[in-house]
Amino acid sequence: MKQHPLCTDTEHATNVLDLAIPAQVKQDWAELQTRRHFLGRAGKVLGWAAAASLLGNRALRGDSYPAAGAPAGDSLKFPNFAPRAKRAIYLFMSGGPSQVDLWDYKPNLAAQYNKDMPDSVRGTQQLTGMTTGQARFPVAPSHWAFKRYGESGTWVSDLMPNMGRIVDDLTIIKSTNTEAINHEPAIMLMNTGNMNAGKPCLGSWLAYGLGSMNDNLPTFMVLQTKLNTAENNQPVSSRLWSSGFLSSEYAGVGLRSSGDLVLYLTDPNGVDREVRRKMLDAVNEINRQTYQELGDPETNSRIAQYEMAYRMQSSVPELADLSKEPQSTWDLYGADAKEPGTFAYNCLMARRLAERGVRFTQIYKRGWDMHDNVTKIMPIICGETDRGCYALITDLKQRGMLDDTLVIWAGEFGRTVYSQGGLTPDNYGRDHHPRCYTTWMAGGGVRPGITYGETDDYSYNVVKDPVTVRDFNATVLHCLGIDHNKLTYNFQGLDQKLTGPVPASVVSGLLA
Amino acid sequence: MGTMAVRAKQMLPTMKSTRILWAASLGLSLLLLSLPWLIRLDGHPHADWQQFLGRFHPLAVHLPIGLLVLVPLLEVAGAFRPALREAAGFVLALAFASCLFALSLGFLLAYGSGASGTGVTRHLWGGIVLTIVVLICLFARPQWSAQGAGYVYPALLACMLIALVWTADQGGSITHGSTYLTQYMPVGMKRVLALGATPSASFYAKHIHPILDSNCASCHGEGQAKGGLRMDTYESLMKGGKDGLVIVAGSSAKSVLFERITLPPDHKQFMPAEGKPPLQPEEIAWIKAWIDQGASPTLAKLAGVTIREELPEVTIEPVADYSSLMPEIQKMDQGQGAKLKAVSAKPSDGLVLFTVDSAGNFDDAELAQFQKFAPYIVEAELGRTAVTDASFDTLKQFTHLRALHLEETKITGAGLPKLASLSHLSYLNLSGTQVTAAYAASLNSIKSLRHVYLYNTPAQPAPAAKQAPQAAPVATAAAQPKEKSAQ
Repeated sequence: MKQHPLCTDTEHATNVLDLAIPAQVKQDWAELQTRRHFLGRAGKVLGWAAAASLLGNRALRGDSYPAAGAPAGDSLKFPNFAPRAKRAIYLFMSGGPSQVDLWDYKPNLAAQYNKDMPDSVRGTQQLTGMTTGQARFPVAPSHWAFKRYGESGTWVSDLMPNMGRIVDDLTIIKSTNTEAINHEPAIMLMNTGNMNAGKPCLGSWLAYGLGSMNDNLPTFMVLQTKLNTAENNQPVSSRLWSSGFLSSEYAGVGLRSSGDLVLYLTDPNGVDREVRRKMLDAVNEINRQTYQELGDPETNSRIAQYEMAYRMQSSVPELADLSKEPQSTWDLYGADAKEPGTFAYNCLMARRLAERGVRFTQIYKRGWDMHDNVTKIMPIICGETDRGCYALITDLKQRGMLDDTLVIWAGEFGRTVYSQGGLTPDNYGRDHHPRCYTTWMAGGGVRPGITYGETDDYSYNVVKDPVTVRDFNATVLHCLGIDHNKLTYNFQGLDQKLTGPVPASVVSGLLA
Repeated sequence: MGTMAVRAKQMLPTMKSTRILWAASLGLSLLLLSLPWLIRLDGHPHADWQQFLGRFHPLAVHLPIGLLVLVPLLEVAGAFRPALREAAGFVLALAFASCLFALSLGFLLAYGSGASGTGVTRHLWGGIVLTIVVLICLFARPQWSAQGAGYVYPALLACMLIALVWTADQGGSITHGSTYLTQYMPVGMKRVLALGATPSASFYAKHIHPILDSNCASCHGEGQAKGGLRMDTYESLMKGGKDGLVIVAGSSAKSVLFERITLPPDHKQFMPAEGKPPLQPEEIAWIKAWIDQGASPTLAKLAGVTIREELPEVTIEPVADYSSLMPEIQKMDQGQGAKLKAVSAKPSDGLVLFTVDSAGNFDDAELAQFQKFAPYIVEAELGRTAVTDASFDTLKQFTHLRALHLEETKITGAGLPKLASLSHLSYLNLSGTQVTAAYAASLNSIKSLRHVYLYNTPAQPAPAAKQAPQAAPVATAAAQPKEKSAQ
């Protein structure tokens, strides 16, 4: 076998069997490599094949039926139990939305305006470099009033009048907490279960475990929301929808927020379907030869992705064609939804993807990182997201899809109750806050109309039912029928999993 | 004289050592019988070392159980292999010793931890009687072969077994609660055994009692009443314990019960104690509302408390073994088109029919090809396919179908009555079809249906063009799914 082109050691190829690596890894390697093993296995296969033809088809089947071409996670192992949700839509609020101004109502804070936050509340909490030098930490009560909504009587900020109308469908978690205080580690932790880049994200794990329901669209899709110049936009990157060490077939496929949803999907003038097919067949053949030469499984992923792109040439235009949406859709989502890349458009697209059997859709909405000027920016962002989230939940519900779709709304952390920078009666800023933040879920598997967990009077520490990121992800997997301890992939000598090596538990209080 | 004298000689102690043994046994039996009076179980906890040792009782108790079950087996098997019968004597002696040991630990546990109550008393007496019966067995055993009195020993063994089972059951009820064995008993069996009273409709009976029963009654109940408090009936709950009332009707703030369940879980006085899981926030809220509103045993509804009415469980029928069809199912999986996927790793959970790959081409004829899989399909996703009302002739054979998606199809509803035979169907999505109100009404005959979606159909048109402005929300009641309660 030829040396892989990515191998940097061109002088002397190392013998894997001489390396100081676990015996099991050597064995795995040997199984892929050695001629003797190949011959041995071929001999066995021939023997069994002969026996099978003598005994008839049924004799050797036994009870396990591994399907060729099935995802590596073996579709028969997952779901581990009958799932409540078949698919999920994850509304990721990048930047860290302020729980103090949206969900975590603290009426007593008004009296604390501009008073110093007691040291006993902050305790040993380490602050970011942005506020650690502040002389004082004055309490900044929310600028907005809260009202009670629904049968559950849940308090919701006036920033989100539409969300108020559907609180009885939500499972609100006030006690989510994370270990990271800065964007990149926190957002990685939330999405991949690890602060360091390189691990597969939630969507990739689901694609790997559950496989596709529709071969004409990717199993995992990512929608970016257009930037709003008034916002403080922290970047998001494709690391967040990376498949890490899993095959790149399971990585999220992003739809563009303007122009063609997928670049170069339309055939150029003069190239018809048949020509395209022939070209792909030829490229696939060359790729297959490469695979036989180098044995790199990523080559197979590439073949699969080319085929997917070919099928997407017809499935994506159908997906993007909104002309058949009835007027009631626009009444619900608002006129914004007609413009690609808006949050409303992405919510509508998420519903359309769910209808078309996409397992996991993640919408990224940036701009929640409000270190200053909260009162000015918050209404802009909430104006976009409040209507979109409301419309999505309502639409899924009226179409009977909320029963088996899990909707998740979360950011990477919350924000401090004390003001960053100057506190005036009209404006304030808020720094990153990992100790508590509010998230919500709705739909398949979770209990509607409840609020889970409690924070202290300053919305600073969790006082009841904490939900760690690990527990959060374990619960999401549970709703999709997966035992988080069983969805593993052996890499670097460890059975890797989304929830990591620290014990995590499904939060049963959230389940329906 | 003759035989009688011989027997009398056998029965009565002759040698001096035997006589001492008899006297000691008699003394021991009397001591055991008077133990509950000599050391009274006063319901107060005593020395920690007693509890420490006593907590080995649940462990130690299994040794005599095993040995005592073994004895009759050895005796019976001894009829065929005499060596086994010889072993029975030794096992019986060992069983007696272990009985005594377990009894001592058990008594230490009860005395040390301050357990009291009828269950504890019964269990204690059971243990004492059992130990004495075993002792008598030990003496009667040499008579096994004696003529005329051969039945005594087997009869004693039978008594011993009955005492064993009864005592063990009492002990189990103390630790696991009296409903432990019957909780998951099949309903039919319960009915035959006439267990479980008819549930009353009051809030207490429906919601409060079950919480107390499953979380509190194992320590405060019929089995044992720690602190003199029993919570298994309304009367005993309101009577309170040794230290007075636990519930003050009308004031949860003054009620000790409420105080104890809302302490921080690591607090010494927190209930449920001993590391048992705390009550759910919702349960605590119910208890609070119930106490505040008078702790009534009859009130059916409480102000401010809305309880999600639990719909009767739809029985999830396991599907039959479809492994012989697996090759076909796999072949479909590899092609482009409709496919069957397992609901979960458990084959009896059935299959889901996915058509989304080939929605436009999937018509009635295609569906008909799935007839052979009919009894294994629990969910059919036929949304946006080309199926028509004729498909109901195939669908009615999907006997285990639980969810049927027909949204955005050409269905008019004329075939809907054919679904009446599907006794497990609980979800039906007809959104975006031409189903009329009249046909939708025909669904009322399907008792298992819980969720019917008729959004954007003649039966339930989409809401007229009304703007839903950000600040002033407009109700969309018309768009709500039709929730049909299957009462």
